[in-house]
Amino acid sequence: MDKSTIVEILEKAKTEGRKILTEPEAKQVLQACEIPVNKTQLATNLDEAIRLAREINYPVVLKIVSPDITHKSDCGGVRVGIGSETELRRAYQEILDNIRAYNPKAQILGVAVQEHLSPAAEVIVGGLQDKSFGPTVMFGFGGIWVEVLKDISFRLAPLNSGEALEMIREIKGYPLLSGYRGRPQTDIEAIADTIVKVGNLVAEFPQIKELDINPLFVFEKGKGVKAVDARIGLGESNE
Amino acid sequence: MKEFFQPRGVAVVGASREPGKLGHEILRNIIDAGFEGGIYPINPKADEVLGLKCYPSVTQIPGEVDLAIIVVPAKFVNRVIEECGQKGIKAAVIISGGFREVGPDGEKLEQELVKTAKKSNVRVIGPNCQGINSMPARLCASWPLVKLSGPISVVSQSGTVFAALGCWAEDEGIGTSKQVALGNKCDVDETELLEYFADDDQTKVVALYIEGVRDGRRFLEAAGKVAQNKPVVVLKGGRTEKGAEAAQSHTRTLAGLDQVFDTAFKQAGLIRAYSVEELYDYCKALAMLPLPRGPRTVIITSSGGCGILATDTCEESGLEVVDLSSATVDRLKEKLPPQCIFKNPLDLTGSATTQMYDDALEILLGEEGVDSVLAIVGDPMPGIAEVVEKHLKKGKPVIAVMLGGGRAEEEEKRKLAEKRIPVFSDPVRGAKALAAMYRYAKRKNLNQQ
Repeated sequence: MDKSTIVEILEKAKTEGRKILTEPEAKQVLQACEIPVNKTQLATNLDEAIRLAREINYPVVLKIVSPDITHKSDCGGVRVGIGSETELRRAYQEILDNIRAYNPKAQILGVAVQEHLSPAAEVIVGGLQDKSFGPTVMFGFGGIWVEVLKDISFRLAPLNSGEALEMIREIKGYPLLSGYRGRPQTDIEAIADTIVKVGNLVAEFPQIKELDINPLFVFEKGKGVKAVDARIGLGESNE
Repeated sequence: MKEFFQPRGVAVVGASREPGKLGHEILRNIIDAGFEGGIYPINPKADEVLGLKCYPSVTQIPGEVDLAIIVVPAKFVNRVIEECGQKGIKAAVIISGGFREVGPDGEKLEQELVKTAKKSNVRVIGPNCQGINSMPARLCASWPLVKLSGPISVVSQSGTVFAALGCWAEDEGIGTSKQVALGNKCDVDETELLEYFADDDQTKVVALYIEGVRDGRRFLEAAGKVAQNKPVVVLKGGRTEKGAEAAQSHTRTLAGLDQVFDTAFKQAGLIRAYSVEELYDYCKALAMLPLPRGPRTVIITSSGGCGILATDTCEESGLEVVDLSSATVDRLKEKLPPQCIFKNPLDLTGSATTQMYDDALEILLGEEGVDSVLAIVGDPMPGIAEVVEKHLKKGKPVIAVMLGGGRAEEEEKRKLAEKRIPVFSDPVRGAKALAAMYRYAKRKNLNQQ
């Protein structure tokens, strides 16, 4: 874990009086923990976005970066599968228009340009400081599974990979990750590895009050995982 | 802690001559439970209460006193604690309410009390609690009166849960060891008591009712340490206030669902109960029955319906209602009449007799592939208590369930209570208790490997 990078990012947010990291910042924190993330770069104007998209390679994803917007896709702040510069120009403008219509006062830091990943199994890995037990990690099946069915498991952190594997096997949707009815077997070890790292992160940094990696894309066995979106909320370490 | 549970003498501060008042009832319970050390009522306005000489203050007591039970109004408690310190009393149980639970004024009183207690070298249970029992010392400093000493120790944030466990355990011939109602836990808390029970040989099982814990990690460490050697069954009331703080993440929103507590209990090896009845049932089974070596169980029943209910519960809670081998069925057919249904559940039907239970238990408990037997008796069955007793001696758990047997059943249950053998009145409760025993046994085996 690259602690000094994390401290730097957390300190910057604190000085600016922010209780939540931007998505690119949150992903830098994950990278500092050696958790793979999809390529994500912040563009502050259209030209920069075009240049970054060429670097990353089309297709790309654009996402609004604003401390005032937490649910980015609910207000038209996300465009996926952008295949060309023409599409990118249009999408960039649409996102800005949507956000201004949604919340004219929202502070816009820019637009994140990200690599577009082919579909994969989506899970959520989270961390928090529990009121009674302190650092805790969560695992669940992504999307509606977590929101509607609450198919999730918890462990106190830090934890080892054996415990993380147990957490993964505990959820009802587990067969969908382990090759149910001819589905490809996914990289469960890589999920466990991510859970362990998130556990170490929240155990090491009590000021990280809550953390979501949602979704974490899980590829076929041996091909790893990638954090596609991340959210980190901050608080006082004794809160 | 020793001063709470093995005091040389007990003072009841606020002892009253008036029946119905707590200061009267608690003193009477201390006398009636047969406490053998000195008992000293404290009341400046009385010479004698319940035939015992009364003293104006604890400082005037001539003999050795380790424990004070305090029932005076909140505003006098501070002074009493000071006097306890002067007399060298090391332990105080404050029954009186009117502290933190009533608002800011009460909170101030409680803070003063904590300071005084620390300065005076007095440890405090309560305030605002229902008292403590230590049955091996024949001490009942609470209400209602219980006397029977047994294997279960209780720590409860609720006075009524505390009392219910004591009463049920006494009614069924099982009994309790130490019982503590925590109240506001201004000093002694569940963690410290768990640490004490870990090394207390008289405590075989710990029952815990809590609503929250002060230091989650320390609590888990203590509970986990106890759980390595003896079962800890926990009932938790009050879920984390969901959404009390604005949550930015799914993780925090979902953590409000009590799941973190559940996980923490599991990680520490505690057995979770979800009602007062389950808390009691699990403790009773774990304290009084041998542990099953595995999940394989056979149900013997005289009631088809109750057999089905038990099967459902067993299967849902991790037990295996195994198929009987053809060799076992042959052996059963030699002894039992043909109208029996030779499956699992083994249905002896409405014409079941005590002899049939005896034969079936003899054969089934002798099978290598059977770890436990649930014996459901759904009809009057005179003499069944002796049969259960006889087969329990073989070392495998026999969970007796009796219902629908009228007067004859009452008599059998009375005999079982005398023999200190647990019996359940509902097949679901019996099956759940067996499942809790299996969960505990499994974890214990894992730890020993």
